Amino acid sequence: MALDISLEPEQDAIGEINKYNFRTESKAVFKARKGLDREIVAQISEMKDEPGWMRDFRLKSLEIFDSKPMPRWGGALDLNFQDIYYYLKPTNKQGRTWDDVPEEIKETFEKLGIPEAERKYLAGVKAQFESEVVYGSLKEDLVQKGVIFTDTDTAVREHSDLLRQYFGTVIPPSDNKFAALNSAVWSGGSFIYVPKGVKIEFPLQAYFRINEENMGQFERTLIIVDEGAQVHYVEGCTAPMYSSESLHSAVVEVIVKKNGRCRYTTIQNWANNIYNLVTKRAFAYRDAVMEWVDGNLGSQLTMKYPAVYMMEPGARGEILSIAFSGKGQHQDAGAKLVHAAPNTTGQIISKSISKNGGRSSYRGLAKVEKGAKNAKCNVVCDALILDPESRSDTYPYIEIAEQDVSIGHEASVSRIGEEQLFYLMSRGLSEAEASTMIVNGFIEPLVKELPMEYAVELNRLIQLQMEGSVG
Amino acid sequence: MGNSCGSYQRNNQRPKRMSEFIFAINEADLADGGKSLVEVEDRLVLIFRIGEQFFCIDDVCTHDGGTLADGNHEGYEVECPRHGARFDIRTGAALCMPAFKPTQVHECQVTEGKVFVKLS
Amino acid sequence: MTQVLEKIGFHEAGFEALMDSLTQPEWLAEMRRDAWAKFNRLPWPSGRDEEWMRTDIRMFNLDKYALGNGGTEAFPEGTLSEGVELSGRLVTVDSVPRVSELAPEWSKKGVLFGPLSQLVNEYPDVIRPHLMARTYDSGVDRFAALHAAFWSSGSLLYVPRNVVVNQPLHTLLALSDGSADLSHTLVILESGAEATLLAESCSLENSSGGVPGGFHCGGIEMIVGPGAHLRYVNLQDLGHGVWQFGHQKAIVHQDASLQWTVGALGSRLSKVNQHVELAGAGATSQVNGVMFTEGKQHLSYHTLQRHAAPHCRSDFLYKAALQDNSRTVWRGMIKVDPGAQKTDGYQRNDNLLLSETARADSIPGLEIEADDVRCTHGSTSGRVDEELIFYARARGFTRKEAIQMIVTGFFQQVFDRITIESVRDALGLSISRRVREYE
Repeated sequence: MALDISLEPEQDAIGEINKYNFRTESKAVFKARKGLDREIVAQISEMKDEPGWMRDFRLKSLEIFDSKPMPRWGGALDLNFQDIYYYLKPTNKQGRTWDDVPEEIKETFEKLGIPEAERKYLAGVKAQFESEVVYGSLKEDLVQKGVIFTDTDTAVREHSDLLRQYFGTVIPPSDNKFAALNSAVWSGGSFIYVPKGVKIEFPLQAYFRINEENMGQFERTLIIVDEGAQVHYVEGCTAPMYSSESLHSAVVEVIVKKNGRCRYTTIQNWANNIYNLVTKRAFAYRDAVMEWVDGNLGSQLTMKYPAVYMMEPGARGEILSIAFSGKGQHQDAGAKLVHAAPNTTGQIISKSISKNGGRSSYRGLAKVEKGAKNAKCNVVCDALILDPESRSDTYPYIEIAEQDVSIGHEASVSRIGEEQLFYLMSRGLSEAEASTMIVNGFIEPLVKELPMEYAVELNRLIQLQMEGSVG
Repeated sequence: MGNSCGSYQRNNQRPKRMSEFIFAINEADLADGGKSLVEVEDRLVLIFRIGEQFFCIDDVCTHDGGTLADGNHEGYEVECPRHGARFDIRTGAALCMPAFKPTQVHECQVTEGKVFVKLS
Repeated sequence: MTQVLEKIGFHEAGFEALMDSLTQPEWLAEMRRDAWAKFNRLPWPSGRDEEWMRTDIRMFNLDKYALGNGGTEAFPEGTLSEGVELSGRLVTVDSVPRVSELAPEWSKKGVLFGPLSQLVNEYPDVIRPHLMARTYDSGVDRFAALHAAFWSSGSLLYVPRNVVVNQPLHTLLALSDGSADLSHTLVILESGAEATLLAESCSLENSSGGVPGGFHCGGIEMIVGPGAHLRYVNLQDLGHGVWQFGHQKAIVHQDASLQWTVGALGSRLSKVNQHVELAGAGATSQVNGVMFTEGKQHLSYHTLQRHAAPHCRSDFLYKAALQDNSRTVWRGMIKVDPGAQKTDGYQRNDNLLLSETARADSIPGLEIEADDVRCTHGSTSGRVDEELIFYARARGFTRKEAIQMIVTGFFQQVFDRITIESVRDALGLSISRRVREYE
């Protein structure tokens, strides 16, 4: 069948409710028809001019997707997979310089503050608009050192051997229904390779957006940190508000080799109607360090549990997670640590806030395999509930098959202390200001790990949430 | 539906011991390319037949401890029906994520039409 | 009467035979028929169910077991009542009552204590409003339905308003090799009443010397009325071939308290659901769990502390020591309903792994729908500290003695909470006897 390249009837912008709640009229160049079947999947592959192995991988993944039941745990999933656009190509070519990026897309980024960020100190920018990465740049010296930072579509064509060696090995399509879906229809995402011993001192950044109504976004990110190398990757996500559900379902695979170090920071602020169902998993080999810093705001439902598998002795995994659920939102977020080798250490710190009837759930796993002697793992979950309509859940799974371990888990749920509130209000703050200040203190451990601009942005988002101007 | 919580071959005969080998199944009851879930000394194991060769592994996917009995198998590989982990039935090796630890293998021996298993 | 039961299997004919043999009120017969219909409708739990995925029961075969195998064997004295002045005593062997005593001073005050299946005919007005009403759901799984259809004998403790039974009552349930026991326990404390019930279950020694097997499918219901105080101890020391399944629930009303101590030592496989509902403002509950596993034992405990009313406190502490190839699964949940403000909920599970091949899964959980609460949970897992062993050996203790001391020390925190000396002693002794030497 021919591609449906007609545009949806143009809709009125909903208007600027706040900085993160706008939409830009999208002029898609190609848009596959709604729905999910072999034809659509084959078409996506064809559009991207992919090698046969990737096309076969996609089709096989679709079969797996069809055969898997919907998860029965976590949040309420009310999705019609046939009512979603799986692929949209916003522009004909990838912009090489900022000037090449189409004006309206640029406008969107402008609203997100991307250009300023770049001017400051970005080593590279990948911004994804709908399904494909439209703008990319990487500092020349990193290119010289052999660093690859590109979109995954390009990597399939230009770094096929390297990519194929790792693609789908950390998260195979059969892992879960949404990993299978992503594997069938993926588009965009980042591919990063950091060669042996190369330490990238500034964060690499990407920004993801969903713009078209009922548009799925299925980016696929693969990061390979070679021996002794180091990288910090930052992604932010915002999406404008729409009237019907959108789906975001990403797969992120990270491989950190011996003595390598990787930090992956996400600040996600999806619109309130988005299903955000993401599989993120990393392998950390001998003495390697993998850190996930994960901030979840917005969305209707988020299900996301970044994982670190410590595969060889001395590996370390750290996960810092924050969730803020406002009205009508369910953040089912958490973390997984799997100790598969001796002397591995792990830590999970989770902070969640529920407000205006929102629901925050921590769901996590700390697992020690047989033989992972002297594994040490610590999990701390704190939850704040700000009103009687809101809800907080904690589901930490702990599975121990080795005696020589030290595993601890602590969780607590509480409200804002009245004494604290009273004290701050006696200093002349309004109740809202005082609450905001306490919440900011509560999430401080996460915020201090963020690059400055993200810290500022997160604080501002929390402030908006607290004032009730969002949601 | 019977009152047993699982369906598998039950050996009502008392286990016949051949040194440490324990009778598991009659050769004739397992077709070429087939697999069977068998209870051997309070343990559920899977027995596979490929031609005249028999292989035995624990009925355990090392990813989450679940059963492999309902998984598809092809050649020397069995796939976990839940998350797609695959295991080599000859060595127990995990072949893909989400499993990475081997599942236990047990030695098989065929004598006079009977398959015996030595639990590891 | 239960005494005449002879080998009743768990099938249609067995159910009919059971119904023919029982003397019971019609409403109870109806209840059993309803449960039997549920049993026939429900599937067996399988590894696909989240609650059962860690507990493999595929080798359990109901057809191997039948009701009413024994009833004449000698039975042991029990360990919980050692050196304790009792106000009442009840012994059943394979669901057949063998001893049923209650001191006259208590029966004069209206206390009821004895086999539930007999008392239900004499005191239906006391029993009917509570029996399998709010504290037992026969539809929750196939074992619950089977129990509700086939339960026999069992025990009833009823304490009228403001009666304080100041000496403990004791029940002993013994199971002979290969038999089944589906006894049902119902405890009702009216407002202001107080009592202590010590319950233990064990297997009779197997005449052939093998590991005693069997099937225990129990149900426990406890209703603690307003301002009442109940101490309940349940020591499970069944043979290592016994399959044990149980649904246990207590409901604690306004300003009432429940102290529930669990000692889980026996069985081949246990899957127990323990549920405490705090239903009235000011209710408190404390649960003390002691688990010790060895060999190939598999003990799976699923606890729920449900705060349905404001100003309630719940405090669950489970400690498990594991040796050999044994495995424990502990899954705890604190649920706070909307409006249950000023809740104070606590749960903790600590595991001590004594061997390379033991495995402990710990799944604490919180589900909170009120904002003015304080809920905390914790879990730790670790091994015996070699340094402590080193010091103990330097002081002349053997390695085994050192490990025994460390294990006792590990359980001390939970022993300290148990206010009944005989229970502390019985648990302490049973555990230290089981500790083996490891390198």
